[in-house]
Amino acid sequence: MASGELALQSGECVAAGVPAERLLVDRCRQGDPEAFSRLVALHEGMVFNLAARLLGDSEEARDLSQEVFLQVYRHLGRFQGRSSLKTWIYRIVVNQCRNRQRWWRRRRVDRASSLEELTSAEEAKASTAACGGPESPFDQACRRERSQRVQAALLALPFHHRTVLVLREVEGLSCEGIASMLELPEGTVKSRLARARDSLRRSLFPELGEGRLP
Amino acid sequence: MNCRSARRRLSAFLDGDLVPVEARAVIGHLEACSGCREHARDLSAVSEALSQMPRVEPPGSIALAVRDRIEVESRGPGLALLFRSSWRARPLMLPSLIPAALVVVTVLAAALALDGEPAAQGILDGSWGSGLQASGTDANPLQPVAGVRVPRVRGTGRFPAEALTGMAEGTLFLETVVARDGSVLAVNVLDGNTALAAPVLEALRRERFWPGLYNGRPVAVSVYRLISRLDVRPPLT
Repeated sequence: MASGELALQSGECVAAGVPAERLLVDRCRQGDPEAFSRLVALHEGMVFNLAARLLGDSEEARDLSQEVFLQVYRHLGRFQGRSSLKTWIYRIVVNQCRNRQRWWRRRRVDRASSLEELTSAEEAKASTAACGGPESPFDQACRRERSQRVQAALLALPFHHRTVLVLREVEGLSCEGIASMLELPEGTVKSRLARARDSLRRSLFPELGEGRLP
Repeated sequence: MNCRSARRRLSAFLDGDLVPVEARAVIGHLEACSGCREHARDLSAVSEALSQMPRVEPPGSIALAVRDRIEVESRGPGLALLFRSSWRARPLMLPSLIPAALVVVTVLAAALALDGEPAAQGILDGSWGSGLQASGTDANPLQPVAGVRVPRVRGTGRFPAEALTGMAEGTLFLETVVARDGSVLAVNVLDGNTALAAPVLEALRRERFWPGLYNGRPVAVSVYRLISRLDVRPPLT
């Protein structure tokens, strides 16, 4: 059966990671502090990046990342292993960001720019390589400004639109993956995605309104 | 296919989620309609802009910070030392329900004049004496406990007075979790009115400490503090 084979294949793709992950989780559950530090070190980059993009503030994101891992530490016993550890952690990040949004909404909008100073060194190197030479200060400034504009436009979206957009376009998850992570029907994810993309299009390219629609 | 239904399908089209017959209809429409073509181009530019956003890296190791916080959390209930704002007052020891064996409570009291008289300015900038002087500074040293050196705020230890100006009158009971390297891991409000206290929390989050030591070894410690603000009117002349 074709679908069965496909499932087997994709299962094999991640097979190398799964036993190692399970082993790590088991060691954490037994209270091995080294193992837990390793688990955090493996996921801290992705947790921080997602939180930073959803909240638009690096200090909030740092705080939230700590809270996320404390929650992981306390609730690791509840982790069933039905989804991957990464998906489970992503879900905690989104939930925590949502809670924080309620309390701290629009508290420090002016600090959104602080994010771009935290771009990783590899990222800068990669963009240098892509341009075929060292990036000029002007290009750097343009890139930074562009990404600040996108971040500001993201923050103007409602939280549930921003979440699907960031998970899809920044983190590169599939609609199906997002749906199962957020426990939503896939259709809802797709319609939110369409609306979020359209709002972002309108704020990034304001000169093109809906006027042209006959 | 008209513009409206084509545009409704563009997002799914760009994701490759349309069934072939629908996708062909969208392509057919885009070939004929320059407006929708532009719309589609903008939508894919949005996706591209998002996917090209650089990854941001945490400013320090989160793993280390989390390790320290777990250490503080897992110590179990202990004794809290309440250090009062005057160094002459003996520290009060009280059983703490808050899980941490190494606990320090300091009291910061701020007296602010209600109507911004010049006298109030003196209080605010700290020249008024110990009003804003935190325990743990040279002016107000903490009492030693065997084997324990409590964390001390670096620098003057003077609380930025402007942070208190917006705060509602009353008392905040706060926990600051200090990491082994002396950085502040978290500031938690345990009790009190948090209305307009954001600048206070912000200032506390920026503090740097000389780390707490236990038998000579740096440890993560929770520092509990009471910050009171009471408004006093200057005496009538």
